[in-house]
Amino acid sequence: MSAAVQATRLERRFKGGILAVAGVDLEVADGEVYGFLGPNGAGKSTTVRMLTTLLRPTGGSAAVAGHDVVSAASAVRRSIGVALQDASIDPYMTGRELLHLQATLHGISRRDVKPRATALLEQVGLSDAGDRRVGTYSGGMRRRLDLALALVHRPTVLFLDEPTTGLDPTSRLALWDEVRRLNGEGTTVFLTTQYLEEADQLADRVGIIDDGRIVAEGTPGALKAEVGDPTLSVTLTEPADADAALVALSAYESSVPTKAGCIALRLPRGSEEVAAVIRILDGADIGVSGLDLSMPSLDDVFVEKTGRRLEGEGEGEEAPLVAEPS
Amino acid sequence: MTTETLAPDDRAGWLGSLCQPARETLALSRRAVLGTIRLPQAWVPSIFFPLVLMAIFSGSFGQAPGNIPGFPEVASFLDFAVAGAVIQGILIGGTTAGSAFAIDIERGFFDRLVASPARRGSIVAGRVMGSVALGVVGALLFIGIAAIFGARVAGGFAGILLVLLMAGILAAAVGGLGIYLALRSGSSEAVQGTFPLFFALLFFSSAFFPRETMDGWFRVVADLNPISYLAEGMRAPIVDGLDWPTILIGIAIAIGLAVISLAAAAVAFRRRLGAG
Repeated sequence: MSAAVQATRLERRFKGGILAVAGVDLEVADGEVYGFLGPNGAGKSTTVRMLTTLLRPTGGSAAVAGHDVVSAASAVRRSIGVALQDASIDPYMTGRELLHLQATLHGISRRDVKPRATALLEQVGLSDAGDRRVGTYSGGMRRRLDLALALVHRPTVLFLDEPTTGLDPTSRLALWDEVRRLNGEGTTVFLTTQYLEEADQLADRVGIIDDGRIVAEGTPGALKAEVGDPTLSVTLTEPADADAALVALSAYESSVPTKAGCIALRLPRGSEEVAAVIRILDGADIGVSGLDLSMPSLDDVFVEKTGRRLEGEGEGEEAPLVAEPS
Repeated sequence: MTTETLAPDDRAGWLGSLCQPARETLALSRRAVLGTIRLPQAWVPSIFFPLVLMAIFSGSFGQAPGNIPGFPEVASFLDFAVAGAVIQGILIGGTTAGSAFAIDIERGFFDRLVASPARRGSIVAGRVMGSVALGVVGALLFIGIAAIFGARVAGGFAGILLVLLMAGILAAAVGGLGIYLALRSGSSEAVQGTFPLFFALLFFSSAFFPRETMDGWFRVVADLNPISYLAEGMRAPIVDGLDWPTILIGIAIAIGLAVISLAAAAVAFRRRLGAG
């Protein structure tokens, strides 16, 4: 089977000549989770709207699930599930009623509509809330219903637009698990997100779009490796030993330390080299009170490739899992 | 591929291909009706304001028949006022339908519909059929309330059916107009801001007073206003019985308005999807 999503020189020019998407080439393999990142206004949502047949390309071509998004738009619509971040759900309808409506629109046979809705409510953990009006749902419940609505027809390609924006950490983790489970069943997932951590957690490959062009693409690991080496910062027992320590470790390239009494080293081979560093310091009789190995993050990749930080990143973030050494 | 798409087996065969658009339309019109009746602020005005107007006019002009020169002979002014109330209720209902459609566009539900395999025609037809259902029920309600206060339908059962038929067609026309405005503006405020113009059209018509009692420029406007002929067509079965020429003109006007507004809505739909 060929690619689940394939775009060739995809382009969208809006009235007034603004080129929102300027020749994007994409290839997402069947069964892959593809993380699509970009600052606001970079062409991210315009690309997604073209791939989901909501917007016609003005140049190039794209195929989703093997169907052309223009000439075979209705075949595309039957193959994809779409959960758009800003798509509202009627507050005055119940979750079950909305699932029945969505299933009917997808042409699911009359006798399958009700069992399918019940199964989906169960699957996303809304069995008890299914007959309540959506207006009474929490943000996390709405997102889960949104996901269930995108799944009524068992799509082969699932488009998730910022599925966890604004969710608390627990709901976010639950949604990630659900996405992993769906992917485990073979569903291809095209994920746009503002959270680099989300892309890092879920995506097999990541593409970064800026100014309407893909500026970086690859596995999160490869992209991070491209940006730079892991950094080890060592806190010394005696701050005065700093110079002696740098002399002892002259084989390593040092970078700017974060605070006094600390030294920072670049370790091209990462954690493997930590033990060697400690042995050298021990041999020179320099005491160590703290170690912190930091890997380059997708955030660093993003800044390097776009010159900007991802908007929304950092706000409402949960506390780091490991406390900084004091 | 490890997951298989759920077989839409109702689509198989010619019967299935006929059924699916009807199923979609019905499901979407059900949503349109639920969205109105579950929100009191959406349906109360379309019942309340026409009733108030009907009450005021009947109270103020109860003696008009027989005393105002040119006023036709009717049993009571209430009989005369029912058609105006029905039309007014449908216009208010059209504002609600149009702004609900605009809210779907603003909040992205429209995108959800467009990204589904639902036929484009079903998306418009679902909303229009919702308006038709609410318009017919509203008309029945106004006839019923007026009957409690002594109004009678001269045309009998057939007369009631004719009023409901015209109410249904008019509701489709007004619903189509609301959808057209929603698709062009994409804004519920714009829809709500535009509809008062159509209320002006209602008041400059013979919906509440016969044209025979009007004079000067007001008479000219009312003579030119298609709403006048629609109101007279709807009033005839109540006041005069089965006066076919007047009724048929009313039906023709309603159909003409529906054809124009639904065609405009269809063109606006294409334009919105094309320009996106």
